[in-house]
Amino acid sequence: MKKFFVLLLVLALSAGVCFADGGKLKSPADLKTEKLAAQRGTTGQYIAEDLLGDNKALLLTTYEKYVDAVAALRQGKIRAIVMDEMPAKRFLNEVEGLAIMDEALSSESYAIGFKKGNTELVEQVNKVLAEMKSDGTMSAIFAKYIDGDYSAVKPENIDFNAGAANGKLYVGTEAGFAPYELKVGNGFIGIDVEMCAHIAKKLGKELVIINMNFDALPTAVSTGKVDMICAGMTVTDERKENMDFSDNYVDGVRQVALVRADDYEK
Amino acid sequence: MLWESGFFTAEAWSDFNRRFYQNFIKDDRYMMLVDGLRSTIFMTSGATIIGVIVGLILSVIRVAYKGGVPIPLLNKFAECYITVLRGTPAMVQLLIWNFTIFASARDLNTQYIAILAFGLNSGAYVAEIFRGGIESIDAGQMEAARSLGLTYGSSMRYVILPQALRNVVPMLFNEFIALLKETSIAGYIGIDDLTRAGQNIQALTLEHSQPLVMVAIIYLVIVLLLTRLVRKLEEWLSRGRR
Repeated sequence: MKKFFVLLLVLALSAGVCFADGGKLKSPADLKTEKLAAQRGTTGQYIAEDLLGDNKALLLTTYEKYVDAVAALRQGKIRAIVMDEMPAKRFLNEVEGLAIMDEALSSESYAIGFKKGNTELVEQVNKVLAEMKSDGTMSAIFAKYIDGDYSAVKPENIDFNAGAANGKLYVGTEAGFAPYELKVGNGFIGIDVEMCAHIAKKLGKELVIINMNFDALPTAVSTGKVDMICAGMTVTDERKENMDFSDNYVDGVRQVALVRADDYEK
Repeated sequence: MLWESGFFTAEAWSDFNRRFYQNFIKDDRYMMLVDGLRSTIFMTSGATIIGVIVGLILSVIRVAYKGGVPIPLLNKFAECYITVLRGTPAMVQLLIWNFTIFASARDLNTQYIAILAFGLNSGAYVAEIFRGGIESIDAGQMEAARSLGLTYGSSMRYVILPQALRNVVPMLFNEFIALLKETSIAGYIGIDDLTRAGQNIQALTLEHSQPLVMVAIIYLVIVLLLTRLVRKLEEWLSRGRR
């Protein structure tokens, strides 16, 4: 009997779905009075906070993982997720019943984050980034991932430069942000991962990826747990106060609203 | 409600199977859970050992001080230790250990930091369990041992502690079952334990419920096995007792 109740509880927990109904959403302007979500510590959260104004305490939910936010969206607990376009597109392709609003909320740039004052490493990395941009390495990496199908990319094919002479390069990331970083089996793939592998090689170091929650990354870099953050991180003035950034490695990253297809009316 | 939603139809079943394949079979993804489980068990075992040692030392200090051994400083330390580590969340302690105390230890396997954090935390709880166990032994036992000429230390070691241990084993095991579940916060410092492995699968397949439910089932099975073990142990320990 006890076992039956345990089973029932597990079922109830996994099937717990709540439904809500509201008006149609047409553009980001409609989101000002809606329940929104974002990943904790991301610019998506800051944009949603600006959008909601005084209502943010009531209407904004932040999640550690995008998968959690998308589950909440599908269950109607929230109306929209503010997030970067490329990961949003992956959800759009692989999860039924979602839509992305045509109009973007903002456009941003990604850069690598460093401990404040670590100018030496910033300069070294900037040099490598410039080389990568001019010799086509960067665009080759992006091309590998941009069409959304990277099931052929295997972690073991990415050279982490093991046993390099100049020691190790510790890079912090949150590997639930495809196509930039994703944990596959015991390894990592993604644009950021391949870029960092290239940077590590140029610096003569072995790449070590440390996978943690996104909101823990600034702490990790400022305490020296990692040498740099490469996690699709947007450069903002606020972050610049506590961290140094490399040159941007990708511009025009659109922040979009991921909504349920039923809710969206173009 | 479940019926109306088509939970038990053939389509739902094939969809379940497809998602099951995606989540666990394709590219040997179940291995992520196996590795996660290994990490969870490794951390729990390590923390258990540290917890027992620390707990035993702390409880003996406190009981000995109460029994007249002049170690006020040690006793104060033990009291503070127990107060602080029981009075703050394990999660906060874990973050402090990783990002403040061991901020510069980068080559050190993060799992060792977690073992230390969980072990020292558990030690505080174990200390109270042991203390309760020791104090539950009749005072006459100690008096009898002392009157036979044993020193305080020997009386403790050969007479009191063996009996106390027998009393506290069930509670001790419950503490470690709790510890096993507590290690699920290790993902916060970047350890791919069982819970985090489930989240990693979620990030891969973008599917929410199956990986989490699977993780829950694995925890449950292990806890049930351990509970059964405790019961057997209890029976064994109470042999010959009236």
